[in-house]
Amino acid sequence: MTETIVELKNITKRFPGIVANDDVTLDIRKGEIFALLGENGAGKSTLMSILFGMYEPDEGQIFVRGEKVRLTSSKDAAALSIGMVHQHFKLVSNYTITENIVLGDEPLKRLGPLSWVDLKGASEKIRSLSLEYGLEVNPDDKIEDLPVSTQQRVEILKMLYRDAEILIFDEPTSVLTPQEIEYLLEIMEELRRGGKTIILISHKLEEIKQVADRCAILLHGKLVGVYDVATTTTQRMANLMVGKELDFSIDKTEHDFGEVVLDVSDLTVYNEQKVKVVDNVSLKVRQGEILAIAGVSGNGQVDIADAIAGLQNISAGSISFKGEDISRLTIKERITKGISYIPEDRQKEGLIMDLTLRDNLAIKTFDREPFSKKGILQPESFEQQAEDLIRRYDIRSGQGGQTLTRSMSGGNQQKAIIAREVELDSDLLIFVQPTRGLDVGAIANIHQQILEQRDLGKAILLVSLELDEVMALADTISVAFRGQILKTDSVHNLSKEEVGQYMMGVTQ
Amino acid sequence: MKKFITRVRSALSGLLVPAISIVLTLIVASAILLLLGKNPVEVFLGFLRGSGMVLKPRYAGGQGILTDFFSYFSILTPMIFASLGVMLGLRAGLFNIGVAGQMLFPGFLASVLVGYSNLPSYLAWPLIILIGLVAGGAMGSLIGFLKHRFNIHEVVTSIMLNYIVSYVTAFFINTYFVDPVTRNSRTIKETSRLLISGKADGVRFDFPVGLIVALLAVFVIRFILDRTTVGFRINAVGLNKYCARYAGINVGGNIVLAMAMSGALAGLAGVTYYLGFANNMVPKDLVSLGYDSIAVAVLGNIAPVGTLFASILVTIFQKGSIYMSSNVGVPKDIASVIIGILLMFSASGLYIEDKLQHLGRTVRPKRDSKTDKDKAEEEQL
Amino acid sequence: MNIDKIMTDGLSFSLPLFIMAIGGIYSERSGVTMLSIEGFQGFGAFTGAITVVILRTAMGSSPNWLIYVATLASVLGGMLLALLNALMVIKLKSKMTIAGVVVNILAVALTSFLSSVITGAVTGQATNKIQLGVSPRYTIPYLSEIPVIGGLFQNIYPFAFIIIVVALLAWYVLYKTSYGLRLRAGGDNPHSLDAAGVDVNKIRFSAVVLAGGFAGLGGIAFTYMMANFSPSSYVGYGYLAIAALIFGNWNIRTTFWTSMFFGFSRSFSDQLVNELGMSSNYSDLFSVMPYVLTLIVLIFFSKHNRPPRALGEHFDKGKR
Repeated sequence: MTETIVELKNITKRFPGIVANDDVTLDIRKGEIFALLGENGAGKSTLMSILFGMYEPDEGQIFVRGEKVRLTSSKDAAALSIGMVHQHFKLVSNYTITENIVLGDEPLKRLGPLSWVDLKGASEKIRSLSLEYGLEVNPDDKIEDLPVSTQQRVEILKMLYRDAEILIFDEPTSVLTPQEIEYLLEIMEELRRGGKTIILISHKLEEIKQVADRCAILLHGKLVGVYDVATTTTQRMANLMVGKELDFSIDKTEHDFGEVVLDVSDLTVYNEQKVKVVDNVSLKVRQGEILAIAGVSGNGQVDIADAIAGLQNISAGSISFKGEDISRLTIKERITKGISYIPEDRQKEGLIMDLTLRDNLAIKTFDREPFSKKGILQPESFEQQAEDLIRRYDIRSGQGGQTLTRSMSGGNQQKAIIAREVELDSDLLIFVQPTRGLDVGAIANIHQQILEQRDLGKAILLVSLELDEVMALADTISVAFRGQILKTDSVHNLSKEEVGQYMMGVTQ
Repeated sequence: MKKFITRVRSALSGLLVPAISIVLTLIVASAILLLLGKNPVEVFLGFLRGSGMVLKPRYAGGQGILTDFFSYFSILTPMIFASLGVMLGLRAGLFNIGVAGQMLFPGFLASVLVGYSNLPSYLAWPLIILIGLVAGGAMGSLIGFLKHRFNIHEVVTSIMLNYIVSYVTAFFINTYFVDPVTRNSRTIKETSRLLISGKADGVRFDFPVGLIVALLAVFVIRFILDRTTVGFRINAVGLNKYCARYAGINVGGNIVLAMAMSGALAGLAGVTYYLGFANNMVPKDLVSLGYDSIAVAVLGNIAPVGTLFASILVTIFQKGSIYMSSNVGVPKDIASVIIGILLMFSASGLYIEDKLQHLGRTVRPKRDSKTDKDKAEEEQL
Repeated sequence: MNIDKIMTDGLSFSLPLFIMAIGGIYSERSGVTMLSIEGFQGFGAFTGAITVVILRTAMGSSPNWLIYVATLASVLGGMLLALLNALMVIKLKSKMTIAGVVVNILAVALTSFLSSVITGAVTGQATNKIQLGVSPRYTIPYLSEIPVIGGLFQNIYPFAFIIIVVALLAWYVLYKTSYGLRLRAGGDNPHSLDAAGVDVNKIRFSAVVLAGGFAGLGGIAFTYMMANFSPSSYVGYGYLAIAALIFGNWNIRTTFWTSMFFGFSRSFSDQLVNELGMSSNYSDLFSVMPYVLTLIVLIFFSKHNRPPRALGEHFDKGKR
C-alpha cells in the first residue's frame, strides 16, 4: 500500500496581473519520483516554491503526512523534512562545502558561556553521508573551485544533512552533460531506494521517462492531468505540455559554405583571477556556417566568445576577421568591422534595463548617422527605428519605443537584442545561450532567426549548453572542455552521445 | 497629443516623491519645534525673511529686502554649481562626496592668484572662472583616473583628497595669507569679487554674476545629458557599465570625463563661494555646503532642473538660519537638522514610490495590457 | 627622537581606529556598504559626553567611574544612530552610499543642535563644546621599560584594554560562531542564507547596529584623548577606518595591522615636526601623511582587493 505524503488541494496563486497556479490539486506518494512537467512559465516553480514555503498560496490547502500545514518560510519546510535544490544554486562561493552545508543549522560545541561551530564534526558527518549515497565530495574544498556538477552534489548533501525526506529538484539537469545527467538520475534512484520522496521539475521528456513514476503536466498554471509515466509516450506528454500538436523538426537546407570569416588560432585567455580559461583554441567559421561550441557551463566557451568580441584580453594567439587581425582592436572597432554579439546575460550585459526600448535598440549605433549628427542626438531617428524593429521582429512592449526595458518579458527582451544585433548587418554573429529561460514559442522563433541569418550567408558562432539545440542548429560542432577544444567535426559525423563524451573530457 | 500627456504625467510623477519628502520634512520639523515650545510658523517665516523673500519688520540703514534677496543669490549660486556637480557624477554612477575639497582647492588658488591682485574685474572674473573650471576639473579627473586605473573607490579618494587639500591649504594660509586678527585668510580685494554692486531706492545690493553662469550651466548640462552622444554615454555607463562596455562605450574614459565635469562644476562652486560670498577662507574648514549639495542632488531627482529647484529650497534654510536664530531663538543648527531630515526622506524615495504604487494598485487593479503569458514568464525569470 | 612617545601615541590612536574598522567589517561582510562610521563615532561620543555633563550637574561632583558610564552611553548612542541607518537601508531601501552620507550629515546636525539645546537646559549655558574630565592612564611595570617597544606599555588609556577585549571577542564571534558564519554568508550570497532559513535582513540589521556600537566605543576613546567634544570633533577618522578595512581586505586580522600602520605613521610624523623644531604651522603639512599614504597604498593594493560579492545589494526575497 502506498501512502500519500504530500497533498496539494486547490492551490491558487496570483501575482499582479497573472494567475501562476490555478486551482491545482495533486497528491504525491511516499517513495516515488514524481515529475512536474511544463513549459517555462507554466507555474511549476511557483507551485514548488509554495510547497517549500517561499510563497504562500492565495487559496487552497497543503497537507504533509496527512496533517494540514501552513508554510511561511523555508524554515517551516525544513521542519517538515522538505528540501529543495534550486535551479540557481544557493551556495556561498568563498565557503567550504562543510560551511555551506551547515549554514543555518550549525552544530555547536560549548565551553561555559562560549559556543562555536563544530566544523570538524560536521565535516565527518558529511564525508559519511557522501559515501552512503555515492555523492563524492571533499568537504574541505571551497565552492568557487568546484565544477557545477559538484556544486549540485553539495546542494543534494545539504538536504540529506538536514534529514530531508521530500526532495524537490528544480530543473537539475539543465547545467549537466549527458553523462552527468545519467549519474544524477542514478543518484535519484538510489535516494528513492533509501525511502526518499523526490519531486522532479523538468521540461525534458526523456529524463522523466527514464526515472519518474508519475508525472503531472501543467499548462498556463492549470493542471492538465497526472499520468503514469510507464504507459504514456513522450510524444503524448509533449503534446499535453504545449497544448497543441508539436512539430519537432527544424527546416535546415544543406548548402556549401563560403569564405572563412572568422579565424581564431592558438587563442589563450586568462581571466581576472589569472586562471587560464581558454587554452590554445583554434577555430574557423565560414560564410553560411553555424559553428556551435558545445560544452558544460564554465569550460571556457563564453570566454572564447568574449575574446572575439573584445570583452576579454587575450594573452596569446590571434583572432582574424575577414583576413585582418583584430585581436588588438577595441570593442567599438570590432562592432564597426561587423561583429554582432548576443551575450549570455541579457539583463546584465545585453540591455540597460532602466533605459527605454528605443534607446536600447540604438545602443550600438547612437553615435552614427542618422541617430546623431555632430554629436547631437536625433530622437526622431531613434523613434523610427524602434517602430520599425518592433513591427518586424514582433517585439511586444506596452508603450512602443518608450517602454522601459525592465517591464518587458524575457522573451521580448531577447527579441529586442536579436533585432538590434541582426540589424547591424554584421558578417559574423555570435550567439551565446540565445534561448536560455525562454518558452517553446520564443525558442522556435529565435532558432528561425538564426537559420535565416545562416541562409543569408552570415558566419555564425553559437555557444549553447543545450545539447539538443547544438545538434539541431549546428553545421559544425566544436566541443569545449577545460578551456580546450577537444573535437571539431561536421554534425553529420557526430552523435549526441559522442559529443557528450567529449564534453566530459573523454578523448578515446 | 497623447505623447504630450504622457510627458506631463511622467513629469508630475517625478515631482510627487520630492513633494511628499518636503511635506513630511515640514511635519517632522514642526513637531521638533513644537517640542521646543516654538511656533513653527514663526520659524519658517524667519527663514524666509532671512532669505529676503518676506519683508523683515525692520532694516538697518541702507539695507532692504533686496539686500537680503541678492545676498541669498550669492549663496544660492555655489549651491547650484555644487549640486549640479554631484548630480552629474551620480548620473555616471559615481558618488562625488568630495565636493567640499574640490571647492576649497580652486577657491584657494583663485584667491591667492587673483584675489589679492590688483587686476580689474573684467580681467579678474574670467580668470577666476577659468581657475575654478581647471583646478576643480583636475581634481575630479584625478579621482576618476584612480577609480578607472587602480580600482580605488571614488568615495575613498575624494575623502582622502579632501583632507589633503584642507591641511595643505591651511598650512599656506597660516604661513603666508593669514589675517592676524581673525586668524582666517585675508579678505580678497573688492575688484576680484564676482559681484556687481548696485543701489536702488537707497538700498544697497550685490548681484552675484556667477548666478547667470549657474543658470546657464543648468540648461547646458541638461542639453548635454538629454540630447548629445556625450550624455548618452554617461547615462549608459551610470545605468549599467557592463552593457555600456559591451556596446563599445569606453567606460573608463567616460568615468574620468564625468568626474572631470563634476569636479569642474564643484570648482565653479568653490570660486563663487570663496570669491563672492565668503571672501576669505577659514583654515582647515571644509564647507558643509559641499555635503549638503548631495542632499540637494538627490532631492532634485538627479536631474538638472530638479537640482535647480532643490537648491532654491535648501538654500532658504541655510541662508535664513542666522536671522531666524537671532529673532526666534532656535539654534541655527536646526537648519542642518531640517536638511538632514529632508535628505533622509528623499533618500527613501524608492520606498515612498513603492507605497504610492501599492496605493495606486488597490485603486486601479489592472493597468497593463501585457498578456498573461508574458507575465508568467517574467515571474520565472 | 622620542621613540616612547611615538609608541604610546601610535597605539592610542590605532586602537580606536581598529575597533571602528571592525564595525565597518561587520557591516560590509554582511553586505551593507558602510560610510557612516564617522557619524556613529561622533554621535556616540556626543551621547557619552552629554551623559557626563548631565550626571556631573546632577551630582555636583565628577567621580572617576563617570568615564565608564560615558563609554557605555557612547556605545549605545552609536547603536541608536546605526538603528536609523539600518532602517533606511533595510526597511526603506535607500541606496546604501547615500544613506551613509545622510546619517553623517544628520549626526553633525543633531550633535550641534542637541548640544546647544541640552547644555542650555542642563547648565543654563548653551554651548556646543563639552568639556570632559581627564582620563586616567596606566603604565605597566617592567614591560614599559623594554627598549624601543616599551612605549607601548606606558600611559595607556583604559579604553585600550576595553578595545582589545572587545576586538578579540568580535574576532571570535565573526569567525567562530554560527552568527558569524551567517553574517559573512550575507555579504557573499544572501540567497544561500535565505534558503537555509535564516532571515538575511535581520542579520544585516544586527550587523549595522553592532557597527554603531563598535564605532561608539572608538568615538569615546578619541574624545577622551582630545578631552572635549564639539561638532568639530568630526575629523574624518571614521573615513580613515574605512580606508583601513579596505586596505585590510575586509579581514579583522589584516585590518589590525593596517590600523597600526595608520596610527604609527601619524605619531611618527607628529614627532618629526616636534623633533625638527618647526613652527606649528608645519604640523598641518605633516598631518596629510596618513591620507597620502592611504592613497599610495591603495594604488598598490586595490587591484588585489576582493570586496564581499554581494556588498551594496539590497536583499529582496522575490528576486532570484
